[in-house]
Amino acid sequence: MSSTEPSQNKTWELSLYELHRTPQEVITDATEIAVSPRSLHSELMCPICLDMLKKTMTTKECLHRFCNDCIITALRSGNKECPTCRKKLVSKRSLRPDPNFDLLISKIYPSRDEYEAHQERLLTKLSMSHSQASLVNSITEGIKLQSQNRPQRSRKNHDDNSNTSNTNGNTENTQNGGSTSAPKEGATTASNPTPSGQSTSNPASVRSTPSPVPSNISSVSKNTSTTKRAKSILTSERSEESESSDGRTEGENSMDTEGEGEPLNPNEIELVFKPHPTEMTGDNQLMRALRDSSVRYLKTTANASVDHLSKYLAMRLTLDLDAELPEAYRLLNFCIYVAPAPGQFVPLAGSQTLRQINDKFWKVVNKPLEMYYSWKKT
Amino acid sequence: MAQNINPHYASSSNPAKQNEDTIKLKDNHAVSKRLQKELMELMRCADKGISAFPESENLFKWIGTINGPQETVYAGHKYKLSLEFPNSYPYAPPMVKFITPCFHPNVDTCGLICLDILKDKWTALYDVRTVLLSIQSLLAEPNTHSPLNQQASYLWPNQPAYKKYLDEFYNKHRDS
Repeated sequence: MSSTEPSQNKTWELSLYELHRTPQEVITDATEIAVSPRSLHSELMCPICLDMLKKTMTTKECLHRFCNDCIITALRSGNKECPTCRKKLVSKRSLRPDPNFDLLISKIYPSRDEYEAHQERLLTKLSMSHSQASLVNSITEGIKLQSQNRPQRSRKNHDDNSNTSNTNGNTENTQNGGSTSAPKEGATTASNPTPSGQSTSNPASVRSTPSPVPSNISSVSKNTSTTKRAKSILTSERSEESESSDGRTEGENSMDTEGEGEPLNPNEIELVFKPHPTEMTGDNQLMRALRDSSVRYLKTTANASVDHLSKYLAMRLTLDLDAELPEAYRLLNFCIYVAPAPGQFVPLAGSQTLRQINDKFWKVVNKPLEMYYSWKKT
Repeated sequence: MAQNINPHYASSSNPAKQNEDTIKLKDNHAVSKRLQKELMELMRCADKGISAFPESENLFKWIGTINGPQETVYAGHKYKLSLEFPNSYPYAPPMVKFITPCFHPNVDTCGLICLDILKDKWTALYDVRTVLLSIQSLLAEPNTHSPLNQQASYLWPNQPAYKKYLDEFYNKHRDS
C-alpha cells in the first residue's frame, strides 16, 4: 500500500474510515465501557485453534496474531504464507512475539485457567444436548447385542423357571403378537426427518428419545431387522446424528465388566448399580425375578443424567425379564440413590449428571461409583 | 468403540507416514477441541443453505448438506457430503466428498471434488463452514477449464440443456 517511492510521495492511502474516524479519548476517570464477552473473545482468539491466544506471535508485515505453537505448526506444514491473508511469510523471522498482547490477556483474564475450565464446561453442556441422541443410539446398540444373546439366555431362564414359565407363556405370546408395530413408531420418533438445515441450532428439540415403554421394547428385541432399521436411520439421518466425543454407553452385561486394559476416558464414569438394601428386599417381586442379575456394571458418559440412568435401567431390566414379569409390573419406575458412606442413601434428582454426582459424593479414585436403585410400583 | 479416532490413522500402516502420525497424535485433543468449537459455532448461527454435523460419536467424520445456490441450475437440489478430518487438522484440509451424486464439471463420478482450497490453497483458517460455502459457490461457478467431468463441462455453456440433464440426473440419483 505505502508508495513504492517513499522519498517523493509520503502520503498514505487512507480508507474512508481512517479519514473520518475521530481519535478515542483516553479514559482517565472511572468510566466503564461494556464489551460483550463474545466480541472480546473474537479479538483475543487465535484463528487457528479458536482458543485464546497463547504466547502471541504477530506477523511483521500484515499484523495478524496467532499462538506461537499454532503459527509455527502452520508454517511447517503448509504454504509459507499468512493463514489469514496469504501474505508471504518466509520463516519464523517474519513473526515477532507480542508480549504486550499476552499481558493484555492476562489482565483481562487474570485466571485464565478458570476461563478455560468455563469453556470446557460450555463444551460439555453442548455435548450433553447430544447425549440424549447417543443414549438412543447406545440403547439400540444394546438391544441388538441383546437379541444376539437372547436364544441362549432364554433357554437358560426357561430351565431356571420351569415351574413359572407355564403361567407366563400366554402373556408372552400375546405380548409379542400385539405390539409388533410399536418399534416402527419408535424409529420414526427417533429419526424425525426434518433436516431443515436450521435444525442444528437446537438439537435437543429435534431429538426425541423414544419413550421407553417397556412393552414396545420387548418386541423390538425380538425383531432384529426393525432394530437394525432404526439404527441405520439414526446413523444416516443428519439431523439425528449424535456428536458427543464422550457419549458412550455400553449396554450388555458381558461388555460392561470389561475394559480393564483400556484406560478410562476422563469423560466416562464407571458405575455399579445395586438394589437398595432395604427397599429392595428378597420378597420384592422384581428382586425375585432378577435374582443374581440384580447388580449391574456400566460405563457411560459423565454427561448422562439420573433420568437417563433410570430410563436405561427400566429398559434394561425389562428386556432381561420380559418373559418373567407379569404385565402389571412392566412399567418400571426407579428411584436412584448414591451412598457416600455405608448405610447412608441420598436420593438423586433426575437432572443431575453423573459428573456432578461423582464430584459431589464420590471421591474414591479407582473404584466405580456405587449407586442404588429401588423400584417404585406406581 | 473407541472414539475420535481418525480413520486415516486407524488404517495407516505406511511406515513413512507413521512418524508424522505419532507427532500429531498428541494433538488429538486439540483437534477435537477445535472441531467441537466449530460445531458449537455452526449450531449457534446456522448459515442458510449449509449444515453439518458429526456422523456418529466420532468427531472426526461429519456429514454436511448443501442446498443448491438460488438462481442457478442447482437451485432446489440438496447434496449430502462427507467430511473426514485428519489428525493434522486444521493444518491439513479435511477430505470432502459428495455422497449424493453430483453432476458438475469439477466433481467426478465418485464424488471427489477438485477445489484448490481443499488441496494446495488450504489454510488453517478455513473451517467446515467456509469449506461448505466454497463448495456451494463452486456449484454456481464451475471451473470448466480443468474439468473432472468432461460431459458436464461440455454441457455447461448451454444452461437450459444443462438444467434439463441435471434435473434428470438428480432425480434419478438423489436417493442412492
